[in-house]
Amino acid sequence: MIAQRLAPRSAPEVGDALRQCAQSGEAVRVEGGDTLRAMGYEPDRATIPLSMTKVHGIVAHEYHDLTCAVRAGTRLAAFDAELAERGQFVPLDAPLRAKATVGGTLAAGWLSPRRHLYGRARDAVIGTQTVLADGTLVHAGGMVVKNVTGYDMSKLYVGSFGTLGVLVQANFKTLPLPAVRRVLLAPLPEGTRDRAAAQLWALPVAPAAAICVEGFRKAIDGSDGIDGRAFVLLEGSQSLVDRATREIRSALGRAGVPETAIVDTGAGASFERVLDACIEGLGERSLSFRVLGDPATVVSRAVSARDAAHRCELFTDLLFDVMNGDVLLRVSDRDARTFDAKAEAFDDALTALEPRRAIVGGNARIRTALDPWGDPPQAIERMRALKAGFDPLRVLNPGRFVGRI
Amino acid sequence: MVEISDSRLVPRLIDALGADAVKASPEDLDVYAFDAYSQGRRPDAVVLPSSTRDVAAAVKIARDCGAPIVPRGAGTGLCGGAAPAAGGVVFSMARMNRVLELDVKNRRAHVQPGLINFELSAQAAPAGLFYAPDPSSQRACTIGGNIGTNAGGPHCLSYGTTVNHVLGLEIVDESGEIERTWVEQSGYDLTGTLVGSEGTLGITCSAWVRLLRLPEAVRVWLAAFADVESASAAVSAIVGSGIVPTALEMLDRLAITAVEAAFACGYPTDAGAVLLIECAGFADDLDAYESAMHRCAIDCGALSWRSARSQQERDALWAGRKGALGATGRIAPNYYIQDVVVPRTKLPAALETVATACASRGIQVANVFHAGDGNLHPLLLYDRSVPKQTAAVIDAGNDILQAAVELGGTISGEHGIGFEKRGTLTRVFSTDDLAAMARVRDVFDPRRSLNPEKIFPSGASCAEIPR
Repeated sequence: MIAQRLAPRSAPEVGDALRQCAQSGEAVRVEGGDTLRAMGYEPDRATIPLSMTKVHGIVAHEYHDLTCAVRAGTRLAAFDAELAERGQFVPLDAPLRAKATVGGTLAAGWLSPRRHLYGRARDAVIGTQTVLADGTLVHAGGMVVKNVTGYDMSKLYVGSFGTLGVLVQANFKTLPLPAVRRVLLAPLPEGTRDRAAAQLWALPVAPAAAICVEGFRKAIDGSDGIDGRAFVLLEGSQSLVDRATREIRSALGRAGVPETAIVDTGAGASFERVLDACIEGLGERSLSFRVLGDPATVVSRAVSARDAAHRCELFTDLLFDVMNGDVLLRVSDRDARTFDAKAEAFDDALTALEPRRAIVGGNARIRTALDPWGDPPQAIERMRALKAGFDPLRVLNPGRFVGRI
Repeated sequence: MVEISDSRLVPRLIDALGADAVKASPEDLDVYAFDAYSQGRRPDAVVLPSSTRDVAAAVKIARDCGAPIVPRGAGTGLCGGAAPAAGGVVFSMARMNRVLELDVKNRRAHVQPGLINFELSAQAAPAGLFYAPDPSSQRACTIGGNIGTNAGGPHCLSYGTTVNHVLGLEIVDESGEIERTWVEQSGYDLTGTLVGSEGTLGITCSAWVRLLRLPEAVRVWLAAFADVESASAAVSAIVGSGIVPTALEMLDRLAITAVEAAFACGYPTDAGAVLLIECAGFADDLDAYESAMHRCAIDCGALSWRSARSQQERDALWAGRKGALGATGRIAPNYYIQDVVVPRTKLPAALETVATACASRGIQVANVFHAGDGNLHPLLLYDRSVPKQTAAVIDAGNDILQAAVELGGTISGEHGIGFEKRGTLTRVFSTDDLAAMARVRDVFDPRRSLNPEKIFPSGASCAEIPR
């Protein structure tokens, strides 16, 4: 083995490391902040960890152009702070912002609850620099906000789970920071959820995020009761946020929800706790599943998934995203010893309902025995061919992605 | 170039699709040798499929006969993307032009590729929805063609380009197999990779696209300036102030003159440049935006600031912008439109290069462009019948491309590469960068039968002179 652990400091050093690996027949497991460790298969051959956290820092913030360039190992929180100095942000969300990196978030294709408003992370990317498996550094896109020069290769690298290349830099278009961020919390008993979700989806002023929470105790603000809560994040000008607040109160009132609390101070931190909860585990006695789908069916899909867990005698903590249709379900048991068998039964039941569910969090031992991605997509053979074309020696995250790519 | 000598091609296509869906007479084929940029080679056949199955069947036949495959929307492309560079079979998607499903509940639509861009918004409007990408040719161009070029339009400043609105695709690949992609699905983002690939990776047979809710309020303003420099400064000031308008367009003096002569839409003819600004959203915000943007404009020396007071006035101001290309016909019989992007703050330098490149060759130039995106569209006006003018236009266009690259920009913002710009791709990308793109091409189209001689540079350029 060429090293116990690789920690390059620059794009050329990443190239050197990969060339060495290719020559000596070894493979790497690419790591950012290591926050999404629960996702994906274990590598199907021995790997050397390749940590990207030393390839960090902002390369340029062209704030008059609303663009920036950042190295992949930069932590999301540090990235936020730097952009905020000029009153800007990139809508790049993932759990554990203080640890999570820009490159890791992009590679994992993590989907933000704010994407219905600001677009997906991939939509904010205007260029990338990527080191391919043979050590070659390639550029895609550029530093302009509109670009159709050749294939948009960044789309391929973002969301490829580090299996086609190692992202070393990403260029983004930035947005002006909203003047006001506000969180609204309201109790949401089960009988009100269908109507409340429909009302939130139809609001004239779309919230930045609208999530229904059941459980998660103190992990999420206001979700200390089993009855559940609505968590709504508003972003915009003072007058717009005030108007949205009035409209949400009256919309939720129509759905039978009596009271709405306002959190103005620490709204950002409050939203971050929602993101963190998506992968938060309970030692070896929990797993978190993510199911993507249509906004129109989100309530019924959430209920079906949760009820399936209850039939397996598991405890549940549930989040569902009204604006995007995502369901996030954490299942757990009191004891790790009883958890594994129940979780296996539940996974069968959930997979029957949602063949493409993904495992996103949890440390239970059973995790490695379950399929982390669910059924591969129809175009899986094309994806395999791309992997073979880009990484024929299977140096990068071998076997970790969908269909064991 | 491949010579198609397989005499079975046309009969087999007719067998599979019916005589009504195959064109093979020389006069019909000549029509399909062109797109809005140029003349390619006369194709060997044109098919007009009615279904994905038709497309798949025709692809298999073309493949058996060794014929290149050239997908075509409305042929409005400005870089030769739909003109057959090597003959073969043109796949006109004109008959696959329906909205298959308008999913109001999830705010999206499933559409066929031949659907006219404008039709989609028209059909979605009763549900309070619209399709955001709006190229200037939107009353003629198709969604499939838009997907091929990742088309933009004036409103992509805040809404994003086509790729930001495509949720999933159904394509037929070079072997005639049907493949489906969806953007929010585990696995590689094939959807994002296919959009903008100019028909070189597959033929789009249907697409799921996102629809947005019609804005509650829309305002349009016209700011006049003495010259393009002060108008450019205002663009930077507005964007830098934290406002991202829905559209931020600039027209220079010659464009204003042409537009006013054609449409009398109310642009001040004594101005050196105007900014057409649109904000869509909520009434309270728009008042605040107006005062902030007005201040930016005045600070940058605006001569006047006008607010369109009615839908009619808004439409008139937009009619000038959207009709600007045609209006230049009053000045010269031919135009060549260039499409480059620079960082927004580099607009003054880029415009200066455009002026110099044209003036030094005695070419008139009108600028009508997406200033907010830094996306320039100089219209080089000339007369093809005057010897040497065409060559001078091509030289000037070349200088403009080079300047954009040197200013940190790129050689196409929304029109694509086609065969017009394939020779210049190496100014932006290294051999390694292009080799990575070629790996993708190898996976989708190893035989190079899909829209050959497009995008990728080659030793010999097939590009004809622009019309």
